[in-house]
Amino acid sequence: MESYHFAPAYELPSWPFVAPPELGSDRVVRHPIVIVGAGPAGLTLACDLARRGVRAVLLDEDDTVGVRGASSRGICYAQKSLEIFERLGIYERIAEKGITWSFGRTFSGDEEVYNFNLQTDSVSKQPPFINLQQFYIEWFLVERILALGLTELRWKNRVTHVTPLADGVRVEVETPAGSYTIEADHLVDASGANSPIRTQLGIDAHPSRSTDRWCISDVRFKKPLPTERWTWVDAPFNEGRAVWQHLMGDGVWRIDYQMPEDCDTAHISQPEVAGARLREQLGPGVEFEFVWIGPYGYRDHLLDDFRHGRILFIGDSAHVVSPFGARGGNSGIQDAANLGWKLALVAQGRAGDALLDTYDAERRPAAVENLRVTSRSARFLAPRTPAEHRLRRAVVALASRHAFARALVNTGRMSVANDYPAAPHLPEGGRSVQNLPLRHLDGRPTTLMELLADGTHCLGLWFGPGRAQAGAAADIEASLPLRLVAVGGDSELPTLQPDQRLARHLGEPPKGSLLIVRPDAYRAALLKDPTPASISAAVRSALAHR
Amino acid sequence: MITEPHIPDPDGFYAAWVSAHEGLTEAQSADFNARLVLLLANQCGDQAVLLDCIAAASDSGEPSLPTPQDPA
Repeated sequence: MESYHFAPAYELPSWPFVAPPELGSDRVVRHPIVIVGAGPAGLTLACDLARRGVRAVLLDEDDTVGVRGASSRGICYAQKSLEIFERLGIYERIAEKGITWSFGRTFSGDEEVYNFNLQTDSVSKQPPFINLQQFYIEWFLVERILALGLTELRWKNRVTHVTPLADGVRVEVETPAGSYTIEADHLVDASGANSPIRTQLGIDAHPSRSTDRWCISDVRFKKPLPTERWTWVDAPFNEGRAVWQHLMGDGVWRIDYQMPEDCDTAHISQPEVAGARLREQLGPGVEFEFVWIGPYGYRDHLLDDFRHGRILFIGDSAHVVSPFGARGGNSGIQDAANLGWKLALVAQGRAGDALLDTYDAERRPAAVENLRVTSRSARFLAPRTPAEHRLRRAVVALASRHAFARALVNTGRMSVANDYPAAPHLPEGGRSVQNLPLRHLDGRPTTLMELLADGTHCLGLWFGPGRAQAGAAADIEASLPLRLVAVGGDSELPTLQPDQRLARHLGEPPKGSLLIVRPDAYRAALLKDPTPASISAAVRSALAHR
Repeated sequence: MITEPHIPDPDGFYAAWVSAHEGLTEAQSADFNARLVLLLANQCGDQAVLLDCIAAASDSGEPSLPTPQDPA
């Protein structure tokens, strides 16, 4: 009878509770920005603001990273998220600790039916994906925040009540040393799927709970396998149900097994049962040890509005989707990066309140798209009727023989940097620019993220500007958050070497044209014939100036 | 969506389709038809036409069962 043993538990850091200065005082202090929840979204926002020189208060009811200990949660960090982390200064730690991958294989039974290589369309310095346990991402963000020194990270501070005001939000907070009240010009709810703030305000998120059931096994085993994402539509070692397999940091494999909908969750997560599954999968003679086992179900929900006056919702508090395709944590991180520069400019008096409306205008459609895509994956993975099983069987049967059918095999469409819809502030819609490696004219290497990292400004990439043209536009930088950088050409502007990959990635901008790239690396506008007036107008438009 | 005659040899196609079902159980026949739908859909390659065909197929079927009502 095989016995299964567990690796020693992770030792996660904790940070001390510090009695906040407002405790024991009657004066209600107002802070410009208060963020509730130190998960990936809240931490990314706080770190983004700090990197921009903007102070914030971050309240978390716990004093450590991870929820319920080291339980396995998000793992796949997408390219856009990694680019954001590069700009924030934690990418190197993630790359060193995590597992980089771009290749995925999908199996039906023992046969491969589909594969993809995400590296093909990538020109970024960051890879398509790095897998790492979520608590490491959070850990690195916390340490970076502490190093930047502009965020009041208040552990064991639990928000008990919020009161929307005309010009801010009143926040009641409970701590081990007593309760206190503060106010915020803006409150960001990053408190997760079960947001107590959303509940208190009675905001409907239209939740929809799935009947699909899964069980995670985090495990170390001694079998050399490639660092690829492997998924089975119907694994023979899982009674014909789906399986996911990913390598994370510390040599831990994260394997998700689809379970029968009516399973006994306690039973399926017993070491003996999970172990038998793993033995079937790995074959005899492969040693393994468990790190963690946990069953889960999933739901989706979506707020009608991500902005309610002075309260903004990011991450799971605003939207939750099924996990297939890694669009949960990544969209929370990207919500934060979308909002961070906007809050920074508003807090610094360099943009108006209308810019904050664009957060909802951009990120809610992204969430709608993520919901649409992941719902389809979830449906493919858990067909609801014999007829649906039949259709899926047809897809899988054709996929191994005919290339066209592979595109229909849907075990998850991986997270992308969502496009934003056309709007007054984004006349052509918004598309993310990848973090291309670039070179200054003198040969020094740089990247797009490096050009966006300090302060908060749009980048005006000017392709071969004339000297007089560039000279005439120089004054704009004094009055607007814009930094002009030439790509080639003979001007007095800081100049990058012309780069074929950059040009191709940006759609071959004609000579003399100027591309405005926002602080979050989304293109805002391409000016074919830039003048100081048209450049200023385009930047104002991108900042939603009225 | 084309509804005028477009199959070069309609009887020949029909015979081949029937013949492909010979010897199959009902379940196997249904699986075969599903695969055939996918193969033919890929020949069409026009999203609007594909969706129109799905709608036309729905319209030509028997009315679906009424959804259960609570007792009055």
